[in-house]
Amino acid sequence: MRWRYILNVVGILTLFFGFTMLFPIAVGLYYNDQSVIPFLKSIGITTFAGLLLHLCFRGSKVDTITQREGMAIVSIGWTTIGIFGALPFYLAGGEFITFADAFFESVSGVTTTGASVLTNIEAISKGILFWRSFIQWLGGMGIIVLSIAILPFLGVGGLQLYKAEVPSPVPDKLRPRIKDTAILLWKVYALISLLEAILLMIGGMSLYEAMCHTFTTMPTGGFSTKNASIAHFDSVYFDSIIIIFMLLAGINFSLHYQMLRGKTLAFWKDSECRFFLGAVILLIVVVTFNIYDTVYESIFQAFRYGAFQVVSIITTTGYATADFDQWPAMSRLILLLCMFMGASAGSTGGGMKFIRVMLYFKYCYKELFSLIHPRAVTHIKIGGKVVPEDVTRSVLGFLGLYMGLFALCSIVLAGMGVDFVTSFTAVASAIGNVGPGFANVGPAQNYAQMPYLGKWLLIWCMLLGRLEIYTIIIFLVPEFWRK
Amino acid sequence: MKVVIVGAGEVGFHVASRLSHENKDVVVIDKDSDAIRRISDNIDVQVILGSGSSPVSLEDAGIKEAEILLAVTNSDETNLVACLVANIISPYTKKLARIRNADFDKYHAIFRDHAPHIDTLINPEIEVVKTIDRLMNMPGAVDVGKFANGRVKFIGINLDKKARLAGSRLDEIPVLLGKQGPLIAAVIRDEELIIPGGDDRILPGDLIYFISEEDKILDTLKIFDKYAEPVNRVLIVGGGRIGSRLATLLDDKPVYTKIIEKNPDICARLAEKLNKVVVLHGDGSDQGLLNEENIQEMDFVITLTNDEEINILASLLAKRMGARKTITKISKFSYFPLMSMIGIEQVVSPRLSAINTILQHVRRGKVLSSISIKGEQAEFMEAVALETSEIVGTPLKNISFPKGALVTSIIRNDNIIIPSGDSIIEPDDRIIIFATRRAIPKIEKILTVKLGYF
Repeated sequence: MRWRYILNVVGILTLFFGFTMLFPIAVGLYYNDQSVIPFLKSIGITTFAGLLLHLCFRGSKVDTITQREGMAIVSIGWTTIGIFGALPFYLAGGEFITFADAFFESVSGVTTTGASVLTNIEAISKGILFWRSFIQWLGGMGIIVLSIAILPFLGVGGLQLYKAEVPSPVPDKLRPRIKDTAILLWKVYALISLLEAILLMIGGMSLYEAMCHTFTTMPTGGFSTKNASIAHFDSVYFDSIIIIFMLLAGINFSLHYQMLRGKTLAFWKDSECRFFLGAVILLIVVVTFNIYDTVYESIFQAFRYGAFQVVSIITTTGYATADFDQWPAMSRLILLLCMFMGASAGSTGGGMKFIRVMLYFKYCYKELFSLIHPRAVTHIKIGGKVVPEDVTRSVLGFLGLYMGLFALCSIVLAGMGVDFVTSFTAVASAIGNVGPGFANVGPAQNYAQMPYLGKWLLIWCMLLGRLEIYTIIIFLVPEFWRK
Repeated sequence: MKVVIVGAGEVGFHVASRLSHENKDVVVIDKDSDAIRRISDNIDVQVILGSGSSPVSLEDAGIKEAEILLAVTNSDETNLVACLVANIISPYTKKLARIRNADFDKYHAIFRDHAPHIDTLINPEIEVVKTIDRLMNMPGAVDVGKFANGRVKFIGINLDKKARLAGSRLDEIPVLLGKQGPLIAAVIRDEELIIPGGDDRILPGDLIYFISEEDKILDTLKIFDKYAEPVNRVLIVGGGRIGSRLATLLDDKPVYTKIIEKNPDICARLAEKLNKVVVLHGDGSDQGLLNEENIQEMDFVITLTNDEEINILASLLAKRMGARKTITKISKFSYFPLMSMIGIEQVVSPRLSAINTILQHVRRGKVLSSISIKGEQAEFMEAVALETSEIVGTPLKNISFPKGALVTSIIRNDNIIIPSGDSIIEPDDRIIIFATRRAIPKIEKILTVKLGYF
């Protein structure tokens, strides 16, 4: 481990992140609100710290970096960005009393979770709210991927960094070079975002609202500028636009790229995407019939709210147009299941990812099949291609770790005095990067009343989920530190 | 520029790694998932798991947009079919194939002019035999490469402790010699490449690279206290493809040659083919046999079996038993840095020569050839100076050359000029540039066109 180099890169990342704070300053200046001073202070501190790190450790040139170093850079980088992203919140004060509150909000932002400690969002200045949405947008496609695309120096270790930030069981590179792939992904991401913002503005949102909501839909983040989230607008048009874009954000972005290149059947040809969309439709139908009559009187109402909530949770966005905590048990359990499954690999969504769930089902079927035909030679195939044995093994390991950490963290959180349903849904929602849970962290509630240490635990869970477990958990393995 | 490489073996891996470092778009196809994994874990290239000779894999790899296809699997047949398929799908892609079977030797031109239109067939074994031949005729040289049809050569030598130039500064050398010394392009000291300036010293143990005209080489080597000794007796260990090619070459020369081979069938075939060469059946690392065959009288022992560990040990043994020089065939690149440490001086590698040949064809602009020096840290490149290139028409000292690059000679008409800061390159001059790996992409750019020329 070449720590000098790692810290040098983290310094450059921090410096780069500091400059992104210029955007909320522009918003603050335009609305002439009190967020400008905290932002100026934060920008100063962030760029200074970044520069200091970079200058202290510069000159440590390397030819290639190892996978281990890549993981270290990514996880330290994300934590650092979480800390500096919290500065504007902390310095603006208000409802952010302790630094842990601000840090929680910031990490919830960059990891695209969307869990908030704020009770009265509308009281916060526009600049701060813009920042809250903007960091979700940056975190969605990945701050490291953005750096690879923009900063030339990362070319050396770009591959390892990319793999640590965008772990995927079946890696797909759009272009031979990682830098070109990163540029392309960001272009597609920005293009779809632009489209959503325009459509939201056509529906009557102001430029500011449209941008803030686009910045939190596309990364499947879920922060809103309104206390009542999307329910505030109470419009079928907005609901349906946002449903569509949440779904798009939950689909592998390489498929979007293929679509844009004219392969119109790309979604249909991809087996994960087919499985994902099929599951979404099925769950929407089940939830609609479950809440029809019990919660909503008309089938249309049931469908409108059922579809929005299912899509919002399964893509791990976390917007709400209804208090689903009041829904019947079956719908609540389905939504809880959705928190675990998450969206597709290569999307901006969180959770376990559908491809892994799919692989798991196929694995189970294969096991059953070989009980019936003990001598059968079978392979697990996805999209007609055989999945190598070690990929299957790593996916099973991932699912096991995911559930194990979920169980462990829930117990620890409950040990801090949080009630039963709240503790395990808060952890499920944090690891899945969803946002709302049930009971005391339900869609109509927030995370303000979480115990102090509970917030730190959830911060860790959110980073764990965003970087897909391995990149973060590897730090806890003693072998990692051994020379 | 996009390059599709079929075959993720040692050659494919290294070519991919080099090209990726030079910011080219590289796609690698192989059907071995472990080899593919090794590439995708280490190099920034796109990988495709599948047979390289299949049209589907080639289409997936984007052969239509590719400028060059490199077919370098271990199988000649796969390489040929890959080129054939590529020729059908994408006729304008340049094709290179590694073909090792000697039966194809005479057909290189035919394969170029007829389907599958393979622009270059590479036979690394022929290259290796040529290199061995060059090394044998060059006293003390550990690395040799030629430019301008052999009229200019670069040579790498190890500086001996007793050499009179050892320890002197570069700018003192002309004084010591009383005449202009050779242009020293690079020094490798403790595995580190140094491009020396006037106040740098050359020390004993350094590996020194210099450029010389063909007919002055022996004189230049004398400067470094390396004297030509006639090669009269040669022992070859291993009668494989390279061994038998070398033996055939030496068969026609006034050199007393013996070849040791373990496999009796191969021995029989060699004896059938060779006239003067003595074919011995036995183990090249057998001390008794070596003693019996007067190993201590040998000028050169060349170990060419397919097992590199045996080659290394046999060379060490021969050296210890009194053979004057050894040449060892090694394929594993990770062994290269060890060689001088354990006392093996001259090394040849079919893979390295394959890589060299491939790279010189991939180079853009008017690069005629390029040769990597030991350890692949740097290259000598021979190029034609285009009229539009930045380097033409200005004194060398005014050109902003990237760090780690050096013009080592200019060939104008039939004259070879060792340039100084005031030399000016004229259009259509051939130049030989020495460049470190980092500087290569910039050099390529400089060689092509002036910025903003279009």
